[in-house]
Amino acid sequence: MNNSFIIAGREYADNARTKGFWINLLMFPIILVASIKVPQLLEEKAIPTRDYILIDQSGELGDVVQLAVDRQYAAKVAEALSSYYMANAKGGVAKEIDLEKMPSGGLDGMMSDFLEQDPGALDLLMQPGAIESAVAMMKFGLNDDAPEFTEPRRPFSKVDVPTNIISVDELATIDSGEIVSRLRPYLLGDEYLTTDENKLFAVIIIPQNAAEQVKRGGTAGLIQKLDEKDGVQFWAKNLADMSLSRAISSALNEHLRTNEYQRLGVDEEIVSQVKSTQMLFTSFDPSKDEGEEKVSMADTIRQYAPLGFVYMMWIAIFTVVNMLLNNTIEEKSNRIIEVLLSSATPWEIMSGKLIGIAGVGMTMMAGWVLSMIGVLMYMAGPQVEWASTLLEVISNSGLLPLFGLYYLCGYLIYSGLFLAIGSLCSTIKESQNFMGTATVILMVPLMTMVFVARDPNGTLAQVLTWIPLYTPFVMMNRAAADPPAFDMWGSAILMLVTIVTMLWVSSRIFRIGILRTGQPPKLVELFKSLTKSLKNQ
Amino acid sequence: MTALKLNNLVKRYGDFTAVSDLSLEVPKGSIYGFLGPNGAGKTTTIRMILDIVKPSSGDITILGADSAMDVRNRIGYLPEEKGLYKKMKAWAIIAYFARLKGMPSSEAKTRAFELLERYGLGDFANAKVETLSKGMGQKVQVLASIAHRPDFVILDEPFSGLDPSNQQVMEQVISDLNKEGATIIFSTHVMSHAERICDRILLIASAKKVFDGTVQEAKDLLPPRVRVAGEFSSVQLIELPSVNGCNIDEDGMLNIDISNGCTPQQLMSECFDAQLTLESFEYRQPDLHDVFLHLVGEEAKVATLR
Repeated sequence: MNNSFIIAGREYADNARTKGFWINLLMFPIILVASIKVPQLLEEKAIPTRDYILIDQSGELGDVVQLAVDRQYAAKVAEALSSYYMANAKGGVAKEIDLEKMPSGGLDGMMSDFLEQDPGALDLLMQPGAIESAVAMMKFGLNDDAPEFTEPRRPFSKVDVPTNIISVDELATIDSGEIVSRLRPYLLGDEYLTTDENKLFAVIIIPQNAAEQVKRGGTAGLIQKLDEKDGVQFWAKNLADMSLSRAISSALNEHLRTNEYQRLGVDEEIVSQVKSTQMLFTSFDPSKDEGEEKVSMADTIRQYAPLGFVYMMWIAIFTVVNMLLNNTIEEKSNRIIEVLLSSATPWEIMSGKLIGIAGVGMTMMAGWVLSMIGVLMYMAGPQVEWASTLLEVISNSGLLPLFGLYYLCGYLIYSGLFLAIGSLCSTIKESQNFMGTATVILMVPLMTMVFVARDPNGTLAQVLTWIPLYTPFVMMNRAAADPPAFDMWGSAILMLVTIVTMLWVSSRIFRIGILRTGQPPKLVELFKSLTKSLKNQ
Repeated sequence: MTALKLNNLVKRYGDFTAVSDLSLEVPKGSIYGFLGPNGAGKTTTIRMILDIVKPSSGDITILGADSAMDVRNRIGYLPEEKGLYKKMKAWAIIAYFARLKGMPSSEAKTRAFELLERYGLGDFANAKVETLSKGMGQKVQVLASIAHRPDFVILDEPFSGLDPSNQQVMEQVISDLNKEGATIIFSTHVMSHAERICDRILLIASAKKVFDGTVQEAKDLLPPRVRVAGEFSSVQLIELPSVNGCNIDEDGMLNIDISNGCTPQQLMSECFDAQLTLESFEYRQPDLHDVFLHLVGEEAKVATLR
């Protein structure tokens, strides 16, 4: 057995020293950090404040539009303020957020629910000096070393039409088509309004009679003849960023409806009260204890977190198992195996390789998991609230030990298979024939991953559970959904039996295959020599 | 004392017989050469001795054990096809194989550096194998196979691929090992090495043992040879009493088969007496090359063609 460990040590050192291993190890945290940081950075830095021109000929709706833009900014300030508070509050954030109590929509959901019901709440923030006084009020609850609050940048800013393009006199009466044709080069980015080369993002035109261009519901709407030229027009080249157009259109509709209520003699106060009424609607999970059935944010993450583990497991297993395959073929093709065989038994060689590569795999996985936890801990905070949630789910739910177990089982099943393939092939090229088939088989858990997560105890999940090659992946996938004990233990026993059988058969094939040269054997030949070697025992 | 004993060893692969009824005794402390044309069964025999391949019938006793696996830490082996882990350093690979043979790791490391130094590779101890030349790599592999101070060393074609000066180093390695008391078997088809180093040789052709004995015994199989040239015909030569027969070789020289009990000196004086004008007179003992060709000549050619 001593030789197994010497061989294992060499395999470990040899593979852990390769560039590929380190790239693998570092890639994961880098991608993780990038996937969190890049969108944040983009939002903060890359998208500049966008200029728009508002031409109001109606004398009424312009204020509504402006208010909508201001409120959008105010919402951003409110969000920044609450993030700022949570990041710097005394005693940290963890105490402030109780995940189990938080509705499944998360903090953003709570915020948008609140603002939808009462958009006027933001108007307070738009008062001059309001932000400063808000910050001053917070001061008592903050850490002493809290940094200064910096206001977020305005996403959109209004610019006036240069008088050399449209003169002040013209402005009230000029035809909308004429406005667009004069401003078109600016909208297309061929020319700039200002010297700092800020592109003109949008032009909003409100023609004189825009307020009367109202689409009506019911049968009256069918005979209406409306011309888009007379309505409010939003001109922008960038159609992907819809935040401005949405904010404006919803504000205009809100304004219109308020007017309609007044016209019809309905009390506005009552309307807003009616609008903020809500039916009590809560999602429950029957599998939980009484009093805890409410589906929380943590539950949602807990259900989907295994997906990440399955994916990680899949990549790790096939990376290391491929190392095993390549090493075996290398030893075969340059005949090192002969020297090894004169120094150790085939079983020692095989187990040494299995242990060594398992070590590589475990190191890689430990690196990934630790770096993931590290990154999440570093990132966790109000900006990336899912990070702290995920962190909490990972550390509390027992997913991590299960993951370690299923990873090891998966490795053992596939390593036997690949070691046997490796021992039968003399070149990497030959092994590719086997690899094609193997890859198709291996893709199954990856392709069904999302479906299994969506219905963790459904038919698909159950069927796949009982195919030992897929058990580790599928059971990991189902882990968070409390699979029936029969599925869990039954499949585990089947899997263990498979592992033992697999390794035993592999060791036979390894013995036979390792000294073979030339073409890999046909399946029939392989079977014959297997049974023969059994008889000889 | 016998280090290795082969008893009616047979190896068949299906209908093909790779080794047929081979018996052999290798005395302890001897250097034994396995000679034979390509495909004669040398490598298969060696693999059976090492218990990498199981014989179809017959048995092997090596260092007192029934299987080389039981005494594997006392055996060193250099396979015919040479190869090493490309990414490992020279010293590490030597130490690795020494450790597999039971040497403690610190001792293995010291030993690796010491060996590399002794055989002229001291500067390359920390170089990766892939950066070494083919000859250097092969030397490293030889050192790896003997680092654990084996009692029994099996070298399959140790000289192939080495330049003359490295061949000399290889000979040095073998004689050093022998001086330390190791029994050595090596296979080759370069006769001059075998002639210089071996105490005894085994000649195999077409799976069968053709000759087994000391180098001198092998040479005695062929009579001494005399080659002459001069202004006379073969008919005149055959009339001389000490000439049993003669033939003309490719160079136009006459190869003379001397009668039993006669010496080359006798032949020469007979030539003078008969007033034959000699332009050259060459007398030499047959070398292993001649013996090899004599014993396996035809088969060797067939084997090469195959």
